[in-house]
Amino acid sequence: MKRTRPIVAIALAAAAVLVAGSIAVGVAVMARTDAAAPPPTDAVTTTLPGLAAASGAPELASIRLLRPKPGEVGQAAGPFDERFTVDDLAFDGKAVSGALRVTSDVSAVLDLEIIAGFYDAGGSVIGSARFVYHATDDGPVDPVTGTPVESIPFRVAVPTELAGRAVSTSIGVPVLVNE
Amino acid sequence: MRRRIPVLTSATLITALVATAVVAGTAGVASAHGDSGDDRGRAKNVIYLLGDGMGRTHVTAARERFYGSDGKLTMETLPAQGYVSTYAVEKLSGQPGSKDFHPNPVTDSASAATAWSSGVKTYNAALGIDATGTVKPTVMELAKKAGLRTGNVSTAEITDATPAGQMSHALARGCQGPVYSDAACQDLSITGTALPTSDIRVTPIADQIARNGTADVILGGGLSRFDAADEKALKDQGYSVLGSPTSQTVATKSDLAAASGQKVFGLFNRGNLTIEKSKQDNPTSVQAKEPTLPEMTSKAIALLTSKSNSKDKSASKGFYLQVEGALIDKRSHANDAAQTLGEMKAFDDSVKIAKDFAAKDGNTLVIVTADHECAGFNIIEKGTFTNAEATAPPANVDSGNTANNSSPSRPNNAKDATRSTGIINGAGSADPKNFAPATFRIPSDPAGVVDGSPEAGLWLTYLSGNHTGADVPVYAYGPGSEQLDGTIDNTALFGIVGKALRVIR
Repeated sequence: MKRTRPIVAIALAAAAVLVAGSIAVGVAVMARTDAAAPPPTDAVTTTLPGLAAASGAPELASIRLLRPKPGEVGQAAGPFDERFTVDDLAFDGKAVSGALRVTSDVSAVLDLEIIAGFYDAGGSVIGSARFVYHATDDGPVDPVTGTPVESIPFRVAVPTELAGRAVSTSIGVPVLVNE
Repeated sequence: MRRRIPVLTSATLITALVATAVVAGTAGVASAHGDSGDDRGRAKNVIYLLGDGMGRTHVTAARERFYGSDGKLTMETLPAQGYVSTYAVEKLSGQPGSKDFHPNPVTDSASAATAWSSGVKTYNAALGIDATGTVKPTVMELAKKAGLRTGNVSTAEITDATPAGQMSHALARGCQGPVYSDAACQDLSITGTALPTSDIRVTPIADQIARNGTADVILGGGLSRFDAADEKALKDQGYSVLGSPTSQTVATKSDLAAASGQKVFGLFNRGNLTIEKSKQDNPTSVQAKEPTLPEMTSKAIALLTSKSNSKDKSASKGFYLQVEGALIDKRSHANDAAQTLGEMKAFDDSVKIAKDFAAKDGNTLVIVTADHECAGFNIIEKGTFTNAEATAPPANVDSGNTANNSSPSRPNNAKDATRSTGIINGAGSADPKNFAPATFRIPSDPAGVVDGSPEAGLWLTYLSGNHTGADVPVYAYGPGSEQLDGTIDNTALFGIVGKALRVIR
């Protein structure tokens, strides 16, 4: 047997190791360049079983429980009643108005929705309307002077079709979010 | 005689060497994918503590107040320390580096939460989406999918931006619930037309949290965002619900202490939790039954590491827990330094609980940071006054040196008696237009010096009632914490946490 055979075998082995190692390193490098790959989106739950999609604007069932007397303004229960007070609440037969002041927080009000229910002389609900506030960069302003204010003035007019029949009203807050 | 190597032996050697090389190479690939092997920067657990609105001065002021000038808060003892840039982007902006990149220097809590939760810049008010409205997975969702346990704790409503940033996706942070509204949930400037109300991005956040199971342990405030249907959905998933959304009965610290199991939902106030100072000043109040942030942190860790029985191995995969001290920000908005400091102390006490756990566990990464600074909090020298108290800004005239004269030219400044009517938490507390500082005694003050007095050593002021764009501090402890040394962007926190937990590449 020639003495060269072991040397050839060792050389072949070394070459094989180099080739295999290079392939592995190459794959590894490719994998590292893939490090910025976006995370899998299937971790996000995009459907919520059993949850009915919302329809229409938010309502307050408590408005139907009130029977304010002619000229009165009732306050209908809502989920955030302990978070605000209403100043200068008034009803003149054409609109209900006031200024909502958040007492639970001093950061900006992001969203506010006030529902006004209107009642006939018998105290039955005959319709409703709403005030919707969504924060802008300017924040809440006085509707008369245009100057920034901390409380949010609101005015909800009696709908045209209820004019003359709405003799009392109530307000409630189904949406309130502070920053 | 030289020993010969048979051909068969040579072939075996070649095969063995090749196999070894391939195995080694494969291991390298797996390591690059974060599946095994290289454990640098990897941790079994991550506890991410967020002081909402906590700027550098909040930390310094709390240190001075509670531990003195030569003391340290627990967070300051963590070995890795740095800063985090926090800017947001405008609506429809591209990401940094793109041609349509439009930064906004001052972030809100929603944009910041999205940055560390999902790794993308987005517009103020957005949660779990980029600035074009595309849904992005969060670290907590990825951790949950990977089989880790997850927890989300806050002193705010649990639907508020910081906790919601890990558990929901919304065009507008105001879409918190309990009901959907067009104004609060839609954003036509992003989507063009209104999305169907079945779209997750306009689904009230409370509905998402109650149904997506992203967090196993949910502790905080905001019960009024949830209703009977939410309670049923939570119980159907196996949550122990403390208190009751149906009856709007808030949970108490006693309920929390008795809680067990791997999935716990407990809200302790219908709105934000009560500030610590108020509870301490009114120990018999209903609000004093709320747990503190340290108590919620400790319980959350206990729940996330608990085993239901001796064969339960679910805890062995680790956990991801986010803890927010939310009221630091909310009381900074109010420029109430006494309450702000109280919230800082409670937050730092929570950091101590996390650090102690990590030290004992040995494989937990603790990160402490903020989403943004709030209100331009500052420490002024005892006896001095701020521009807000002055008749004019500092003098800008020096007739003897023309190089110092510029425009505007101001001859002098002095305290304006109508704008500075006494220490705001002392003699001037009754004046709503008073811009004077709040003062607090520090440990080195002589006995008898009280808060609100001119003799107190710590004088604190606010620039505004809103967020600022200052970088915020970051502190870290545990495996991979060295990545928090120096200055990073808030989006980098997503990668650091995600890679530590092996849930992203």
